[in-house]
Amino acid sequence: MDVAGGLLYGLGVALAPGNLLACLVGVFVGTLIGVLPGIGPVATMSLLLPVTYAMSPTASIIMLAGIYYGAMYGGSTTSILVNLPGEAASVVTCLDGYQMARQGRAGPALGIAAWGSFIAGTASVLGIMLLAPPLTKVALSFGPPEIFGLLLLGFTMVTYLTAGSKLRAVAMALAGMLLGTIGLDPITATPRFTYGSLTLSDGVGLVPMIMGLFGISEVLLNIERGVKQEVFLTRVRGLWPTREDWRRSAAPIARGSVLGFLLGILPGIGAIIPTFISYALERRLSRHPEKFGTGMIEGVAGPESANNAATGGAMIPLLTLGIAPNVVMAVLLGAFLIHGVQPGPLMIRERPDMFWGVVASMYVGNVILLVLNLPLIGLWVQLLRVPYGILFPLILLFCVIGVYSEAGNMWDIVVMLVFAVLGYLMKKLGYEAAPLVLAFVLGRMAEESLRQSLLMSRGSFDILLTRPLATTFIGVAVAIVVLPAMLPGARAALRMVGRETEE
Amino acid sequence: MNREVWPPALLAVAGLVAVNEARRLRFGSVTVPGPGFFPLVLAVSFTLICLIVLVAALRAPAATASSAAGDAREAGEGVTWKVLATLAVMLAYAFVLEPLGFVVSTCGLLIFFFRVLDGLRWPVAVAASALTSVLTYTVFKTWLQVRLPPGPWGL
Repeated sequence: MDVAGGLLYGLGVALAPGNLLACLVGVFVGTLIGVLPGIGPVATMSLLLPVTYAMSPTASIIMLAGIYYGAMYGGSTTSILVNLPGEAASVVTCLDGYQMARQGRAGPALGIAAWGSFIAGTASVLGIMLLAPPLTKVALSFGPPEIFGLLLLGFTMVTYLTAGSKLRAVAMALAGMLLGTIGLDPITATPRFTYGSLTLSDGVGLVPMIMGLFGISEVLLNIERGVKQEVFLTRVRGLWPTREDWRRSAAPIARGSVLGFLLGILPGIGAIIPTFISYALERRLSRHPEKFGTGMIEGVAGPESANNAATGGAMIPLLTLGIAPNVVMAVLLGAFLIHGVQPGPLMIRERPDMFWGVVASMYVGNVILLVLNLPLIGLWVQLLRVPYGILFPLILLFCVIGVYSEAGNMWDIVVMLVFAVLGYLMKKLGYEAAPLVLAFVLGRMAEESLRQSLLMSRGSFDILLTRPLATTFIGVAVAIVVLPAMLPGARAALRMVGRETEE
Repeated sequence: MNREVWPPALLAVAGLVAVNEARRLRFGSVTVPGPGFFPLVLAVSFTLICLIVLVAALRAPAATASSAAGDAREAGEGVTWKVLATLAVMLAYAFVLEPLGFVVSTCGLLIFFFRVLDGLRWPVAVAASALTSVLTYTVFKTWLQVRLPPGPWGL
């Protein structure tokens, strides 16, 4: 099936009533949680995972993917109106978006964020369509050594591009991998760290871990800080950007789309880092860099495009290799597996309905988001006025429902609370949760691929260094670690990314 | 001991425990790894990294001590009881959820949040909690067929 035929076939799948409804629900819920501070797409996707058991696999993935890119749309609304990021990937939008709102230009800021997200989201789907099919052919030549090399590269990037201390990030990644070894050994099925417990023999659950680390811990911090949301009370008018706004935003949207998509493909990047790089790039290219932070529309258009494009880019390694490049994709990978579908190079051939259906649904979802969101701005503003004292019990309740309903085991709630305490302490002490979760998910795959590689080579590590793709991935991973120490330019670049992310 | 020192120290101890536990599993060899190979390598690496972080923290005591004081202020010690209370009540909720059922236990949980933490008046807190519990049960259990414990009264 060629790309055009695939897209038409996919549109047929995506526009089937059940799948269209799933897409609508996904993007609506995604926008909702994007707007609400304190609960992100990772926790929401985990929460709704049990709900998808009764749905078809295609509708489930369409809905969960919709939550992810819908959250990117929603996050900008809170950043612009409240100066509080509704979603982590919208942090940078606060800088100029909120200033625009203060100057009475909340409408154009929201409008350009929505249009930029739409254009970038659509462009990234086009990118998936063009890149994924040829990449699946390359991916068919991937064996355990190549997968191990790619995972090693992912671990390296996620730890080296982290905002805080690299050593702490490495420690968290190792802790995540160690937690991933709890349960049955993937090759011999020997119990490890289970102490005779049936619950532990299944390993630590991903959903309780994510809900605890990302959902509950965030709520606990907000309770402690006493979050007060001061929504801009002026009426939001003129959502359609002016001709001048468009002239200034066109290039940032284009650059943000390309940058976000390409960075999103890389393991460990996610949707947050591209926004900071896009902002830094726009500031550097601007004739008035000193005005950034005072309400420059370029500072909204670029990053908002970048985060949406990154969501599309991140789908490529998942759909073609079956590897999750970030935590959100790890949840989506879990959803695929729960529904008995193994994403990877064979999926496009064996489950074309799912592959093309999900890709086409992203087109449909982006259109729905644009059509829905601009008229619904008023609703989101009202929602933001709901006091946090009313919102947080509901967020906690939904986390409990999500965790309990997965297996009907109350001990999962206890596990979630343990990770909540851990996540709360980690945030207060400057330890990041993302490397831990990503390493937890991918660690088992890394162990399996390394041990399979050694079985293939009869115990020789040369197999990792004699296959071109595996060697390339490992070489790049080594270069990321070694080059900053040797080249001042590379060190400065990494520092810049780290600093921008921290700011 | 300041807040830069105790986390890596505790993590290093946890790493040592993991090393000890991983040693009980069959290691195999470097070329033919057994089930204990990966856990042991990871546990040793984790402990070493934590020790490096610990040493780095110990070598910079002045800066961290002042930041610790600042962070403690920032944390707002006066309201930390809310965090502890939330965790304690949620832990209790986990244990009563199955015996009492979803609606009753959730209603109790929400009354605590709305009345004690948010300061709503009793009648409002009770009515909002009851309504929310019944609504969520209806939506998740009845409509979405999500697994939730019915309890002795079928709620």
